[in-house]
Amino acid sequence: MDEVFRDILDMDDIDGVVLVSFEGEILFQKFPGQPDVSPEDVDIWPALMDALRDIREADFVYEDKRFYVRRTSLGYLFILLGHFAQVAKLRLNCDVLLPSLERKQGGKAKRRFFQRKK
Amino acid sequence: MPSNVLIVDDDQELLLVLKEGLNKYADQFSVVLAGDGHVAVQKLEEMPISLVVADLKMPKMDGFSLLAYISENYPDVPVMIMTAYGTPRMEKLARESGALAYMEKPVMADDLANQIIASLNRQSEGGTLRGISTGMFLQLIEMDQKTCTLRVTEKQSGHQGVLFFRDGALLDARTGHFKAIDAAYRILSWDDVSLSIQDSCPVSKNTINRDPQAVLMEAMRLKDEGAGSSEDQADETNDQAKQIKEEIIEESLAENGASQIDIIRGRLEANLGERTGLQDIYQESGLDDLVNAAHRLGTVFQAGPLKTAYIDRQGAEFQVLLPSNPTTVISVSSRSPREKLIGLFSS
Repeated sequence: MDEVFRDILDMDDIDGVVLVSFEGEILFQKFPGQPDVSPEDVDIWPALMDALRDIREADFVYEDKRFYVRRTSLGYLFILLGHFAQVAKLRLNCDVLLPSLERKQGGKAKRRFFQRKK
Repeated sequence: MPSNVLIVDDDQELLLVLKEGLNKYADQFSVVLAGDGHVAVQKLEEMPISLVVADLKMPKMDGFSLLAYISENYPDVPVMIMTAYGTPRMEKLARESGALAYMEKPVMADDLANQIIASLNRQSEGGTLRGISTGMFLQLIEMDQKTCTLRVTEKQSGHQGVLFFRDGALLDARTGHFKAIDAAYRILSWDDVSLSIQDSCPVSKNTINRDPQAVLMEAMRLKDEGAGSSEDQADETNDQAKQIKEEIIEESLAENGASQIDIIRGRLEANLGERTGLQDIYQESGLDDLVNAAHRLGTVFQAGPLKTAYIDRQGAEFQVLLPSNPTTVISVSSRSPREKLIGLFSS
């Protein structure tokens, strides 16, 4: 999964990503700059998952940072970023990488439209 | 949404007879009528036309001139020619000029309908897709070096556009009276779209000359900033004037005992004018849990207090949430400039 999120983590002013299952379990996390608090040490996730419910995409904007949140087939992806990160590029990168997460689950239906004729 | 088929003939009676005869195919295509070539050109500019059926002999602009105009400006729109004075030479000329079919009058409505339906079906021979983002689709086209004509319909507004790809490169685009890069930015900024794929590309000249991903990124940036079109582009030099206007409105509202909702409405109007896409402003305690959970997330990650949240519920409903008791909800349309809204309420 490291490879899937590399394009996002390589972007300027991105602090890290955490993928949390719908049940509140951390599936993946990477904070290259080492955050002050490890997301594994906090119990916020179940309540947050419950509150997000049918939300497809969200931005939580704080005084100093921002979270971009995206629903995936595995759970919710949280990306912590500074105020100078390129949000449009980040959203585009998510558009591109989320299908590869789905593909890891075997979802290949949409690819059939692109199979070359033999 | 049924495709529009434009029928062009100076014989008004024939037009009405054909329209009546084609009425029973209304679930598959809509008929648009034009009395001469000039009106036809006007219709092509005004609305998305999927196919043209034109008479050869017409005043002002004859069928051949119209065919040449369409081949040049709307290369993806097939043209069927009909005439009462057909000769083999004329048929050869029409086909060499790019006509899809050549029919001699009298033309039976059912025969014409069959030809129209067959041609429209070819426009989606590569399949149709719904619920896919343009970003992901563009990536796949590039990866597969695909050659195709992509017809895009934005579900909410019904706007239609067409993108031309050759070997994975985006060559040209068109929507309404916008062409090339301007059209591409508009089409790629649409949210909820359906796509029809035709496995061929009638365009060979590259009028865009940019990497599709770069075009997509710019389209998203323009959309986020609410500057998707030149006519509604915000003029940065007006920022100070907007701020003054906003302060005057807020002061006046406060003096008159206006509610927080009125003040928010005033701020939106002062900064975004008609581009707010505002649907409603209300207070909703059912969203307090979400705002509290988001606030807590920010505390844990030392991000500071939550200023605002922007949420998208399955691409159908967009809300800006402001922490208050109960939570203040600003409901907006998909057309609202996301980043402008976020900037407005997080400052």
